[in-house]
Amino acid sequence: MINYAYYPGCVAKESGKELDNSTRFIAEKLGINLVDMPEASCCGGGVIDGFDHNLKLYINGRTLALAEKLGYDILTICNTCTLTLSEVNEELINNPEALKKTNDYLSKIGLKYSGKVKVKHLLYIVRDEIGLDKLKNAVTYSLDGVKVAPFYGCHILRPSSVVKFDDVENPSGFEELIKALGGEPVSYVRRTKCCGFQTILVNEVTSTSLAGNAIYEAQQNKADVMVTPCPLCHLSLDTYQGVAAMNINKELSLPILHLPQLIGVALGGSYAEMGFSRHNISFRAVMSKIKQNKLK
Amino acid sequence: MEFTVKSYRFNPEIDEKPYYKEYVLNDFPGMTVLNALMKVKAELDGTLSFRRSCRSAICGSCAMKINGITKLACKTQISSEIEKFGIIKVDPLGNMPIIKDLIVDQEAFFDKIKEIKPYLLGKKDYIEDDFKALKDGEKIKQPVYYKTEFQTLTGNNDTPNCILCECCYSECGGVVANPKYLGPAALAKLYRYSEDPRDNDKNGSRLVNGSKPAGMFDCVLCQACEEFCPKGISPVKTIVKMHEKAIKNSITFSKGAKHIIGIARSIQETGRLDEIKVAVDSVGISGILNDLPVAIGAGLKGKMPPLRLKLIKDMEDIRVAFKDLNLEEKHD
Ligand code: SF4
Ligand code: SF4
Ligand code: FES
Repeated sequence: MINYAYYPGCVAKESGKELDNSTRFIAEKLGINLVDMPEASCCGGGVIDGFDHNLKLYINGRTLALAEKLGYDILTICNTCTLTLSEVNEELINNPEALKKTNDYLSKIGLKYSGKVKVKHLLYIVRDEIGLDKLKNAVTYSLDGVKVAPFYGCHILRPSSVVKFDDVENPSGFEELIKALGGEPVSYVRRTKCCGFQTILVNEVTSTSLAGNAIYEAQQNKADVMVTPCPLCHLSLDTYQGVAAMNINKELSLPILHLPQLIGVALGGSYAEMGFSRHNISFRAVMSKIKQNKLK
Repeated sequence: MEFTVKSYRFNPEIDEKPYYKEYVLNDFPGMTVLNALMKVKAELDGTLSFRRSCRSAICGSCAMKINGITKLACKTQISSEIEKFGIIKVDPLGNMPIIKDLIVDQEAFFDKIKEIKPYLLGKKDYIEDDFKALKDGEKIKQPVYYKTEFQTLTGNNDTPNCILCECCYSECGGVVANPKYLGPAALAKLYRYSEDPRDNDKNGSRLVNGSKPAGMFDCVLCQACEEFCPKGISPVKTIVKMHEKAIKNSITFSKGAKHIIGIARSIQETGRLDEIKVAVDSVGISGILNDLPVAIGAGLKGKMPPLRLKLIKDMEDIRVAFKDLNLEEKHD
């Protein structure tokens, strides 16, 4: 068992519950102990420093301090949470003034941060800590014959001065994981582009073209399914897929999975356990194909 | 070492559609992508068109997509590209219309630079503030950060070093989402002038104009500009600084500013991001109604977030943070 301070973020607790549930499902199968932090707050959704930079330091410094108190590194399942917590961590570690300021606040609420916590996304915990061999051995339903388009999104890769999991120009972690599950990764240019989520409420119509273009390109490359490590990307790609299709004037119909759902299916998770009925675009057809690939 | 250059080709006067052409070359130590293209042009195919001038990462002419990522051809080594990608695939810059081969039409980019008035405003020519965010005579509050602090925050303070190469613009998600979006280079310049104490911006008009649609709140925060700027500038950090400065100066008429405030207030009240409250705060009820088809689609799938959120444990801690920083909502 590896212990992690579990930081699901807000969306996985609200509209994206299937992400939280599937994460817990695979954690158990892979020997990850998710230690809840009910005190943890929202990271600020990627925009909080546009409100007040110190607030970003304080509330995320608090989350880091909570994990430090538990003695575990943080496991995230959202790109934007990963970047925000990593940015704050970097700043607190490298800027004594920022750390002092933050600790002055933390002392008022009985906490302290000394910079010991690492922030890691589930994708790279599975690749680096669990290991792809172990993952491969745990597979009960191979993704053999399934073409999977990985959609990295932004904040798990950029800026690479802060999130250092993969090669920002040519990442491979996602592809390796898909192969370990028996699937075939689809290569397409927009796998590392933005999903447009941050301005969906500002520019409802046009911003969905980003998601639309990515889905269309993956479809053109014969993807059966697209997978994302970020629930915000998932909202753009799945919930807004119909709007995106209208916007770019193309037919789109590609099931979009959260990363742990894809792993979960390969580890034997059922349609209901993975919460697929909560998605806009049905995964049924692909799922029945996978169910024929029983290994053990 | 022998390697292949695969170049995008398109001459609208004779070609029906774009195609790729391959050229095989031998490298020499320290060879750059620009060296390779110049060799192709000199020795193999004089019709290949691309921009270049200084050959030393100063003029900003030779930006293009190299193996899918926008870079300066003169600053990019053949050896490292071949090691990673096995080929040199070159395409014209993104987000711009193509004139011929690797040459794009830069007009929209430079129009946007001009639009932010990239010069110090004199006594007479301050920008008309049609939103009247500040009262006559009222001055914009000075930076929330001192320059040195900003420097440690971003690792650079170099917005004046921009060479207008368009690497950022070519990779910018915001421009894909909204082609009218000012884009990273223009906004980094806007920041640079809005911070300059010599600038005669009497009424905060720079931030007001920058907050209009297609301005700084159209940034999708994709971080591509910071990642791919060959001069180490982070336009996105300057954009976020302007968000903060605009909101602190009550320039909050834009949907984007309302969205950010909505998220902050949601955290202040519940410790969480309340998706419904944020949506209502950002776009209002009518905006929500516009989005109703999406909402209903999502609702039917059980996707609607709960209407009332539980508070996080130890919620008081978060209130202390807001109080400490004097950020509590003021009702005036
Ligand atoms: S962070 Fe903003 S300005 Fe920078 S490339 Fe992305 S959308 Fe454009
Ligand atoms: S900000 Fe950087 S990438 Fe953008 S135009 Fe200027 S130098 Fe080029
Ligand atoms: S030729 Fe001037 S920047 Fe490359």
